[in-house]
Amino acid sequence: MKDGTSATILVARNLRKYFPIRGGLLSSHLGDVRAVDGVSFDIREGETVGLVGESGCGKTTVGRLLLRLIEPTSGHSFYRPPPETEARLNTLYDTLRPFTGGGDGGTEPPLTDEARRALEEIDAIADQYSLYRRSQRKMRPLRGKLQIVFQDPFSSLSPRQLIRDILTEPLAIHHVGSRSERYRRAEELVKDVGLNPDHLWRFPHEFSGGQRQRIGVARALALAPEFIVLDEPTSALDVSVQAQVLNLLRVLQAERGLAYLFISHHLSVVRAMSNRVLVMYLGKVVEEARTDELFTRPLHPYTQALLSAIPIPDPELKRERILLKGDVPSPAAPPSGCRFHTRCPAVMPVCSKVDPPYLQVRPDHFVACHLYPEGIPPKGATIPAGDGQIASAGMAGAEAPLVASH
Amino acid sequence: MAAAAPTPTTISPETPSLAALLPETLAKPLSEGTAAQPEAAGPKKQPVVLDVRDLKTYFYTYDGVVKALDGVSFKIRRGETVGMVGETGCGKSVTAFSVTRLIADPPGRIVGGAVLYRGANVLRGLEHEAKFKPMKGSNRVKVRRSFRRIKASQERMVAVRGGGIGMIFQEPTSAMNPIFSVSNQLSETLLLHRGDEIMDTLLQATPNAPERRAAFEELADAVRSGQPTDNVRAAAKKVGDVLHCPSMATQSFYTAREAIAAGRDPLPLLERAVRRLRLSRLARSYLLQQRRLIALQKELNASYMQEMRDGTFDHSQRRSIRRRRVATRYRGGWLSIRGIRGRARKPLNEETFWRSVTLLEGIAIANPVQVARSYPHELSGGMIQRVMIAMALSANPDILLADEPTTALDVTIQAQILELMRDLKERVGTATLFITHDLAVIAEVAERVCVMYAGHVVETAAVRDLFRQPLHPYSQGLLASIPRVDQPEKQLSSIKGSVPNLITPPPGCRFHPRCAYAMPICREQRPPTTVEGTDHTVACFLYKGPVAVE
Repeated sequence: MKDGTSATILVARNLRKYFPIRGGLLSSHLGDVRAVDGVSFDIREGETVGLVGESGCGKTTVGRLLLRLIEPTSGHSFYRPPPETEARLNTLYDTLRPFTGGGDGGTEPPLTDEARRALEEIDAIADQYSLYRRSQRKMRPLRGKLQIVFQDPFSSLSPRQLIRDILTEPLAIHHVGSRSERYRRAEELVKDVGLNPDHLWRFPHEFSGGQRQRIGVARALALAPEFIVLDEPTSALDVSVQAQVLNLLRVLQAERGLAYLFISHHLSVVRAMSNRVLVMYLGKVVEEARTDELFTRPLHPYTQALLSAIPIPDPELKRERILLKGDVPSPAAPPSGCRFHTRCPAVMPVCSKVDPPYLQVRPDHFVACHLYPEGIPPKGATIPAGDGQIASAGMAGAEAPLVASH
Repeated sequence: MAAAAPTPTTISPETPSLAALLPETLAKPLSEGTAAQPEAAGPKKQPVVLDVRDLKTYFYTYDGVVKALDGVSFKIRRGETVGMVGETGCGKSVTAFSVTRLIADPPGRIVGGAVLYRGANVLRGLEHEAKFKPMKGSNRVKVRRSFRRIKASQERMVAVRGGGIGMIFQEPTSAMNPIFSVSNQLSETLLLHRGDEIMDTLLQATPNAPERRAAFEELADAVRSGQPTDNVRAAAKKVGDVLHCPSMATQSFYTAREAIAAGRDPLPLLERAVRRLRLSRLARSYLLQQRRLIALQKELNASYMQEMRDGTFDHSQRRSIRRRRVATRYRGGWLSIRGIRGRARKPLNEETFWRSVTLLEGIAIANPVQVARSYPHELSGGMIQRVMIAMALSANPDILLADEPTTALDVTIQAQILELMRDLKERVGTATLFITHDLAVIAEVAERVCVMYAGHVVETAAVRDLFRQPLHPYSQGLLASIPRVDQPEKQLSSIKGSVPNLITPPPGCRFHPRCAYAMPICREQRPPTTVEGTDHTVACFLYKGPVAVE
């Protein structure tokens, strides 16, 4: 299945989500929190995409946008476009790139005729494939294909429902089988996630955190999805239990060829789980690469700092550490130019003025940083699918060059 | 706000070292008698500052008695960082709260054991508290006596809590009071624990020193000519020296910089600051009285410490001290604490404000004046955590209990805080109990580790030994289950099952239902703590070393 030609499930392009800040006398519109500001990536079959970043950088919002749990301010995510359409989309978005770069308003040049035509064509494709153009009724069959496991297993399960009801409710909504068939399915699901059928007759409060998260996973699996957003699935769990849940997720993926978007702030877990990693900072993706590449050769200064900040459970390993100054700026008033420039150890004068373009710097390795102005010319900009194996970098991690040479 | 604006987010390189900041810290004499008995072991071993023996804390709930701590023993030596790890609900935080006696009673109660802080049992007198039951028909006299004893035992705790044992709480945003500014809350701790020192400074300051004019001008010149901050600092320090008031160094530094950045003449501002230092005769006498009260409280605290150490309560002595204190308080009629703070409020407030700014500088906060003026909700989690650390350290504690100080923070901020704590450890030399569930953090900061499981300490070892050769099956499982960013190949193994219910804990070894090596004996007896190798103790039947002595 992972033979390099696996089909794309979702193509997200220029996703933006601004949450309005209201206040004052007539709760007038005071500004926007730019939670997600121009995020583009693909999700392919059977692949795990890691999404990392500090709290408040918009990770969860991206996950919710992909499932259309919230409507985007602009942008599209195309569900299973045919390969030729996907290639066409990529060329169209490449033409548009100079015009949609910063998203800061006013900095983009006026649209040329060519760009206008590209926009129209994207619009036409979007009518056919974009999630956000579907009516809620048309959306419903997709809801079963695109699922989510929430962060907090304590608040994401209804305390008034039996586990049986929690697991059969999605089936009932989608009119799958008769009632007895649904119960049988619930039993299977419970077994699949390593609980036993007796547990169906209990309430969520009778379970520990790890078990609840298993139930959350079972609920997501109920409708045989293709893609699951895992929104910090283990951050509320203890390490020993975390390992149980991670192993379960891996097994399920191997058995059913699921694609995951693995959202986490815990980089060690992301490294263990994902094939490809996106690094977000203040609503933007600053770097994207295959997992082993990203962890051994991080290019963006933020990624480098993030990686060097991970504590390594080995008291004998002493590392050079890049300490970032200060805190994450407010997404309501993001810094001008590159959003990282206020904390960047390698800041240059240009950084505070111009938003760096998102370029392919090495094969399959995208960075938005002025340190790497020369990208590989994007030829069709389709990223050949990763070979899908989990991190084959071997033991190189410990000696990884964490400080870039620039 | 205005002058600090240009570089708001960067850590200014001119933050002074904490050593310069808290010169008293290192020189702080162990005022209350001897340190703990010197250990018989190796020559280079530091004395034990905190010795927890067989601590038992139970929570009495409707469902039953939760045995949160069931015989926890460990030691912390001076200047040492001891990490404490374990899963949620294993009793890590309860240990910290028990040591400072912050367990809320009704539900919780420390039912046994001893916490020896520098040889004094902090838990002394607790049994009186535990006996107190205001039931119907009980003897009124007895109830009053119980009340008195409770009050006395809590008063004794004041001698230790905050001053000797500082604490950093888990959730930084909820640990601070939202309605007071940061400087206000820092000032409170400062006044409580270092009030006499602050008053001494105010009393000894020389605001009328004739040389001050020259010092001001020198400082203004240094700022104006854009000299490196070290020179400006030196000039500001000179101002402080001339006025015999160290906080004036900080104040004049920021005042001069702000004024010149705003294009104003700093001299009148500095003069105004000096005017605030001047004490009226009335204020002076208030301060002197206040000092005497504090000195008496210290005496009382010292005697409490001695009593806890001796295991006796010399009631006659305590009463006489209290009588003297009461006498001092009422001699003038107006000598209540509130009154004193009212009369000398301005200079005291100024002094504590700038002292808290100095404290904030010491923990590498870029714009300390701005942070000191702000309220907790205006600060980010990492910043509040820094303020908490400053607050815990403001009293120069011997022991710092850090209860998951970085759990609520992002990795990059966590790295900053860990760096700060490591730095402080080197400079201040406070012994730390670092509680966390993250073994990776332990590997970074701790020297020794206690692994806790379900209310027991199952293994204690030097951090290297634990990571190289964990002995207890639980420690082994815990280490094997961490995903490592530098070893992605590692197969994650997990410990089957989950943490047991502590109302009906498993008999014998509490880990046996999850243990891969469980033997019949594990089900019946609690394993003794045995010594394996140097300084490595483990509670497991797999190991047959000599039994550890308490």
